[in-house]
Amino acid sequence: MTIIQTENLTKIYGQGETAVAALHHLNLSVNAGEFVAIMGPSGCGKSTLLHLIGGLDRPTEGRVWLDGHELSKLDDTRLTEMRRRKIGFVFQFFNLIPVLTAVENAALPLILDGVTQSEARATATEWLKRVGLAGQLTHRPDQLSGGQQQRVAIARALVTEPALVMADEPTGNLDSRASDEIAALLRQVSDEWGRAVLMVTHDPRIAAYADRIVFLKDGTIIDETRLSGDGSDEAERLRVKAEAL
Amino acid sequence: MGIQFMLAARYLSGRKLRTFLTTLAVIFGVMIIFGLNGMLPAFSQAFRENLLAASGAVDLSVTGVTENVFDATVVDTVGSVDGVAQASGSLRRTITLPAGSAVDAVTVTGLDAAAQTVRPYQLVSGRFLQPGDGNVMVISQHLALQAGLAAGDKLTLPSTSGTTEFDIIGIITTSPLPGVEAVYVPLSAAQQLLNQPDQINTIEAVLAAGADRARVEAEVQARLGSSFKLGGLEVGNELLSNFQLGEFAIDLFGMLAIVMGGFIIFNTFRTIVAERRRDLGMLRAVGATRRTVIGVILTESLLQGVIGTVLGMIAGYGLVIVFLSGVGSIIQQLVRFQIGGPIFTPWAFILSIGSGVGITVLAGLYPAIMAGRVTPIEALRPAVAEVQQRTFNRREIGGVILIGIAVITLLLRNSQLSATGAFLFIVGLILIAPVLIRPIASIFGRLLSVIFAREGQIAQGNLARQPGRAAVTASTMMISLAIIVALLGLLASLYNGLMGGLLDKTLNADFMLMPPSIFLQSGNIGATPELAQQIREAPGVSALTTLRLGTSAANGLPLQVIGIDPATFPIVSGLQFTAGDETQAYADLAAGRAMIINGIFATKNHVGIGDTLSLATAEGTQDYRVVGIGTDLLNAKLDTGYISQANLANDFHQTNDVMMLVRKSPGADAVQVRVALEKIVKGYPAFTLFAFTEWRDLMFNTLNGAMGFFYLLLAALTLPSLIALINTLAINVIERTREIGMIRAVGGTRSQVRRMILAESLLLAAAGTGFGILAGIWLGYSIVNAISIAGIVMPYSFPAAGVLAAIGVGLVFGVLASTIPARQAARLDIIAALHYE
Repeated sequence: MTIIQTENLTKIYGQGETAVAALHHLNLSVNAGEFVAIMGPSGCGKSTLLHLIGGLDRPTEGRVWLDGHELSKLDDTRLTEMRRRKIGFVFQFFNLIPVLTAVENAALPLILDGVTQSEARATATEWLKRVGLAGQLTHRPDQLSGGQQQRVAIARALVTEPALVMADEPTGNLDSRASDEIAALLRQVSDEWGRAVLMVTHDPRIAAYADRIVFLKDGTIIDETRLSGDGSDEAERLRVKAEAL
Repeated sequence: MGIQFMLAARYLSGRKLRTFLTTLAVIFGVMIIFGLNGMLPAFSQAFRENLLAASGAVDLSVTGVTENVFDATVVDTVGSVDGVAQASGSLRRTITLPAGSAVDAVTVTGLDAAAQTVRPYQLVSGRFLQPGDGNVMVISQHLALQAGLAAGDKLTLPSTSGTTEFDIIGIITTSPLPGVEAVYVPLSAAQQLLNQPDQINTIEAVLAAGADRARVEAEVQARLGSSFKLGGLEVGNELLSNFQLGEFAIDLFGMLAIVMGGFIIFNTFRTIVAERRRDLGMLRAVGATRRTVIGVILTESLLQGVIGTVLGMIAGYGLVIVFLSGVGSIIQQLVRFQIGGPIFTPWAFILSIGSGVGITVLAGLYPAIMAGRVTPIEALRPAVAEVQQRTFNRREIGGVILIGIAVITLLLRNSQLSATGAFLFIVGLILIAPVLIRPIASIFGRLLSVIFAREGQIAQGNLARQPGRAAVTASTMMISLAIIVALLGLLASLYNGLMGGLLDKTLNADFMLMPPSIFLQSGNIGATPELAQQIREAPGVSALTTLRLGTSAANGLPLQVIGIDPATFPIVSGLQFTAGDETQAYADLAAGRAMIINGIFATKNHVGIGDTLSLATAEGTQDYRVVGIGTDLLNAKLDTGYISQANLANDFHQTNDVMMLVRKSPGADAVQVRVALEKIVKGYPAFTLFAFTEWRDLMFNTLNGAMGFFYLLLAALTLPSLIALINTLAINVIERTREIGMIRAVGGTRSQVRRMILAESLLLAAAGTGFGILAGIWLGYSIVNAISIAGIVMPYSFPAAGVLAAIGVGLVFGVLASTIPARQAARLDIIAALHYE
């Protein structure tokens, strides 16, 4: 079952002579439970693609379907609701609210969705335990390591049982050990919990955890590679490939 | 609401210093509004009670419309109306007692034989008044306790013939209003005491059972004519309107403080939104609607507003208690009536809560809307401290236009427009402030780089890159300093113009016999003409003039009427004329029903020379022709008309002198004259003898004493600008944490970082001070101008002291405000700062 489908997706920034095409007639589909990594050099359009699929920005041309809904047809309120219920976001800088505890941060999307505080906390606690933070439930972000903060962010992304988790450089701010842990956790999100994961990364070692890698250059897909998804043997090959691009 | 409240509460408690500083601004503004609003009503209430005799519950009461006395035979007219069962006449007057008495004032009521049938009096001890009684009195239980009196004791009251001693024969339970002590004497004794034979000023009546009240009232009114009114004594005194003006001024003062608080909150929230851009973006990304995000910021401002308002009201209560126990007593000395505890009207609550919470939420509104516009993508972008470029746009162009209009009003020299001009100038300055920040930073930066060669440059750049924030801070400082400079300018002008010019011109006799209260209407009993005669005959006295008092209404407007002697008044004293020929005006006064009115009455009611005013008098309505516009010092603020004493006696039945001015013979020895005068005045405790210089010194000292609190308020008004400075600097430091880390990493010392913040603070203070002085001079000039056209002429005095004070405040605050933020910046851990998000 297809969760994401893009058709001729185009995004142009600026106008006239200063116009820059960040994405150019891009077609991509991601299936339910699939873990897809997007790689490419800086400025290739990775982040733009993520923004458009996540309903954070609107395309200049083309269409995006998320779980059967065409995003360009939704107004801001419906789009916000879609983000709340269908997508979980994981950011490079974790983006946790510094004054809230781990549970409160993880529960945020549920509370925003109108779920009662106690129910939201219970669900968030459950997810925090699953991502290995049973002992840090009441810690504030400044009391957690980078890896732990990103785990809270992943728990936050999963509490609403979304169909898709989008991760923008989720290990960009972590050391290699924590990066591996987070990548493995995202693999688990896909394998055990059945969510589609769309991850943008620079790191071939992290990309190697995905089922499929989409290589982007100048706003178009130039290559795709299917992997075993265990993150071990293919990293070196991917690194060479990414550098060649 | 749940998520908004949780986030708002957490953010507030997570940034304690900032929350404290921002809330402090609200607390301060509300404290001023609530405190002062609790204080002024206490004054006006005390005054009202002092004026109002406790008229109690009677079926019908009749007084003259001018509250003057009338013939006692009117009682019979009222009594003869069908439906009136019994009527009783009384002469009631509040008498201010000399300083040092156990109570400030007593209300003397002379009762006729029918009094007890109209109103019951409950005896506690002794007996009530009986026909045939002489100088005896019944006093209220409250007064007995206050003054330690009992039946059988004696009480001496000042009278028009000096003093009169009364035997206390009974104590009654009448519970008088606070500050007004009641004593009851036979009507004839009161008439003698007040030198008003056969006169009364109140009739009280009971209606026959089943009588039609409306018909009886109509009948009484028809028989008595329009110079009488029915109902209780009305408080028609315009001093009350002065209190109302005071309340308005104080509300304005408090509102300014709150507006400054609003600026601070606005700045804080604008920064909060910039700082939390990524948090807000994340909230939007994970599904928060714009409304939710706006709600978070608004809830935060609402919480601060509520907390600040509650604490502000508590602080305001404390302020009024401290004030009433301190400065209240000084004022009490001056006006001689008792001021009770604070009175908080519903209006004080409405205004405090409305402005405290309202302005806080309003100040948070724009930042909240800005927060709602943060896109989810912001969550994904790296945060870099913003640099604003301010160029001329609609806002700044609007500012320039307003300043242009303000300059035109100044050039037109139209006094009525100048106040509007000053207001426009200040608003214009606030609007163009952002584009002025860069040049100001550049000018003062050069000056500063002499002291801080290296850090000055960075500070200058830092200030100029957030001109919007710097401008709001400078505007806050401008408002408080502008008020200080303006009010000190007004004070300087008042001192030089009024106390110097008006006092010397209008009261400069050699000796003065002053009544207990300088508000002439306020219970001063005065003296019969015999006292003046005795003084006239005293050795060494060449001339004497007296002032007498009546109350009236001119064309329906309340008017205080002062009787002067047109022959002696210009010789011994005088008025400061703003229109009309002085000599001719006095001659006209002597010749017939002519009147000199003071400037404030003329301006308020658009009355000019040659106009005719219909005055309500004890003899019915009488027409007086206006022959001049002039004023003396004591009555400059009150609607006043000066007529001849002959007319006052004929039309108002007033012959008592309430104030006397004496000129000694050229060769006479001042000390000897004084001794002679003191001997005469000794028998009249209602008067105090002063040499002019003594009285002048006393006035200055009293004024300075009362001004102490005023200066304190002025000083307090500077507090928001200090908070604004600290707040902005603290925010700047937080926002630039990474840069400060970088400066330290590349070799900047802690003291260099500290100096950098200090330099920034001084630059910011310099901008605010510069604006403040400019606006303050303009504002002060306009106020003085406006007062001058209202009839109190005084030249504008440049507030050198105010300007110096403003510069001092600017410098001190510049240094003070930087202390905490500079220490914070210098103590930053380099690695943590470099990784700060």
